[in-house]
Amino acid sequence: MIRFILKRLGLGLVTLFLLSVIVFWSTTVLPGNPGRAIAGPFASEATVKAINHELGTDRPIITQYRSWISGVLHGDLGESYAQKRPVSDMLREALGNSLKLAILAFILVVPLGIFGGVASALNEGKWVDRVITVGGLSAAVMPEFVGGIVLLSIFALWLGWLPVSASWPPGTSGVEQIKYLLLPAMALTLVLFGYIARITRAGTVEVLHSDYTRTAYLKGLPRRAVIYRHVLRNSLLPTIAVVATQTGYLIGGLVVVERLFNYNGVGQLLFNAAHQKDYPVLESTVLLVGIVYLLATLTADILSAALNPRIRLGSDAS
Amino acid sequence: MRDMNRALGRIRSRRNDIENHVIDEFMAGRIDRREFFRRGAVVGMSVPLLSAIVTACGGSSGSSSSGAVSSSGGGGKAGGTLRLSVLKPTTEVDPVLSADVGSLAMIAMTGEFLCVDENQQLTPWLATSWSPNSDASVWTFKIRQGVTFNDGTPMTANDVAASINRLSDPANKSNALSAFTGVLSKNSAKATDAQTVEFTLDAPNGSFPYYLSSDNYNAIILPASYTGGFDKTWPGTGPWKNTAYSAGQSATFVRNDQYWGKKALPDTLQVTLSPDEASQVLALQGNQVDVVQQVTVSGAQAILNDPNYHIISVRASTHRELSMRCDKPPFNDKRVRQAVALTLDRNQIVQGLFQGKSDLGNDSPFAPVFPQTDTSVPQRNINLDQAKSLLSQAGQSGGFSTELVAIQTQEVPQYAQIVVEAASKIGVNIKLSVEDGTTYYGDAVYGKSPWLDSIMSLVDYGHRGVPNVFLSAPLMSDGTWNAAHFKNPQYDGLVKQYIAAVDLQSQRSYAKQIQTLLLDETPIIYAYFYNYLSATRAGLSGLRATAMGQTWTDQMSVA
Repeated sequence: MIRFILKRLGLGLVTLFLLSVIVFWSTTVLPGNPGRAIAGPFASEATVKAINHELGTDRPIITQYRSWISGVLHGDLGESYAQKRPVSDMLREALGNSLKLAILAFILVVPLGIFGGVASALNEGKWVDRVITVGGLSAAVMPEFVGGIVLLSIFALWLGWLPVSASWPPGTSGVEQIKYLLLPAMALTLVLFGYIARITRAGTVEVLHSDYTRTAYLKGLPRRAVIYRHVLRNSLLPTIAVVATQTGYLIGGLVVVERLFNYNGVGQLLFNAAHQKDYPVLESTVLLVGIVYLLATLTADILSAALNPRIRLGSDAS
Repeated sequence: MRDMNRALGRIRSRRNDIENHVIDEFMAGRIDRREFFRRGAVVGMSVPLLSAIVTACGGSSGSSSSGAVSSSGGGGKAGGTLRLSVLKPTTEVDPVLSADVGSLAMIAMTGEFLCVDENQQLTPWLATSWSPNSDASVWTFKIRQGVTFNDGTPMTANDVAASINRLSDPANKSNALSAFTGVLSKNSAKATDAQTVEFTLDAPNGSFPYYLSSDNYNAIILPASYTGGFDKTWPGTGPWKNTAYSAGQSATFVRNDQYWGKKALPDTLQVTLSPDEASQVLALQGNQVDVVQQVTVSGAQAILNDPNYHIISVRASTHRELSMRCDKPPFNDKRVRQAVALTLDRNQIVQGLFQGKSDLGNDSPFAPVFPQTDTSVPQRNINLDQAKSLLSQAGQSGGFSTELVAIQTQEVPQYAQIVVEAASKIGVNIKLSVEDGTTYYGDAVYGKSPWLDSIMSLVDYGHRGVPNVFLSAPLMSDGTWNAAHFKNPQYDGLVKQYIAAVDLQSQRSYAKQIQTLLLDETPIIYAYFYNYLSATRAGLSGLRATAMGQTWTDQMSVA
């Protein structure tokens, strides 16, 4: 087990290194440069050159990469070109915000999705199953902003129950913040419910048809006990894997939802940094998202193993 | 009558040549009273003085309203919190460096200008008056006394000179350099005594006060000791003091009780920073904000005609430039350029894109809002027959195919689509590509920028109080943004004369020549100049908005 984790972490580091190189290289392919992005299109060429010189972005790309990576290895993520703030501060803020939203979204969608999936499986082929499956999948394939706008129109504009923007005013208490986060969390629930319900349903159906479930029924166990003790425990394995892998998406992939609800999470940070050619922020954010993905999939694997003794994490498992 | 003449004579004996010229123009009836107040203010005559002259000339002395602002406040009750939505600044908020619409609104929360441009009318602010020398190459500004910065230190003439010198020094990489180039060089502002600052210009300039006004949004007055870090301490002389700022998120301001002018009415100003117009309009609809800094007709359809909201409209010189490469076929023949310009139904464009909240363009940067614009130049209208005949005269009777690159912003893609459809009616087949700003501008230098290199290019230009920048950078032979690659020595000469001209009469006469020349040459199509719009909740008044983007909310009552 420990060997497995170490090996995966080692491979992860290689992936992160390659990721950082690719992102750095791709910034040189994009048109424009940081000085131009900061000074605007109407600034003189001399001004742009002076800014690039000050930032060091007029140096060869290898030199820039070397100085950036050596900073990172020494724990210094550098300073944002555009905002002139330490990157670590910006990352910390954005990650904190993203985590809050992700946790609320999970609290909403995981029980709902599992409940939906199990209900669907137990009513396989009946109308309940069809409504949950078709409804869930339709919501999942709908672009996030469509669901978001529908929710906004109903709950914020029409009923006026929830705020339009997820950015709470300064000094808002933790509990109050939930009110601001509810709409984007609901939008994410729409996106994720279908996946989770679908996977849970598949797992449950498989277990329901398995020999040991039939045995359990045959030996006279009540339906409730069969479902709790045998079906759920076994059917949730793939669900856990799906939920864990979605963490990466929730932390780093919410560009559209965060923008729609004006929320300053990692997605917006990434978007703005790419737009502004703010390389130190862009690089560190990409690394952060990479690390989150890495840890999420690793957690998924470890959880699967812990819950299912048949999976043995060893040299042959990776 | 004799008394009046004597009074006028007394006033005139104390005025300089330029001021007397404005008085002459008014007396001769060449400018109306409103224009007299406007021009008089530019050359530094105070409102009481102008009123006295109008009275001496036998008119009623009421000053015309500028119309740049909504209803005036002042009578409102103090107290409460006002919530304002501003676009997220794309960089650190710094009066020296910032160039985006969010930053410029934030700079003006605590920062103030020497004078404010409201509909081409200059209002004295931190300067109380100004005047030029005889050829308008040296301008002297009198600085308001008794003003303190929000940390309590008094503002002096030294601070004013240092603030402007900071902007004109290339070493500071200031964003104002593009406006100051050829106008004001490094270290040309000098405090001659405690309340006077003298500006020695690179060349005579009759519109110089505009360069120190809110039009030049970087030109706020900061302490002489300022070296950066504006968004940490928010120095300035304005009606607000900052108490909290979270970059990209929000800002909180409270009333500055030491403010030299009318104190702010709300106790607190809560600013929300938003990523785009859609979320700003939603926040207004969801009652999370009271005022939105700027809205557009295309982005604010939902509230435009809703009685629950109030739209403040300011006429502006904001426009789009559709340039055609004058150095490359087929557009090296001016008849081809004229033909394309004749395919556009400008009235319909203005209705369709702006619900009429826009002026028509006549293929020169002289917007109808500029007083210098000569309105006798005939307006170009749609005329497909003439367009076709021009094409065939140019040997292009079968039409041709070409490409248009447009920037992705506001209504520009829709406008580009209209151009494509209109041109197809005379057989000109345009392949359109719409690029985001970063790609479109590229390096913003010739040879490395779709903006400056494309055969046809469509770009957005923000408001300016005077047309000088519009006339030089995109159209002069050595202009840095000359996407049309237009090179015409006669034009260059006219623009230089126009910029140096001090009195309105000669400005207008050069303007007419420039307008006529550009209408004939048509290097760039100017189809419209649209209004600057802000939105508030219904029932709120006292918002002062400039077409540049400053949004002053201190006289809005929410109590």
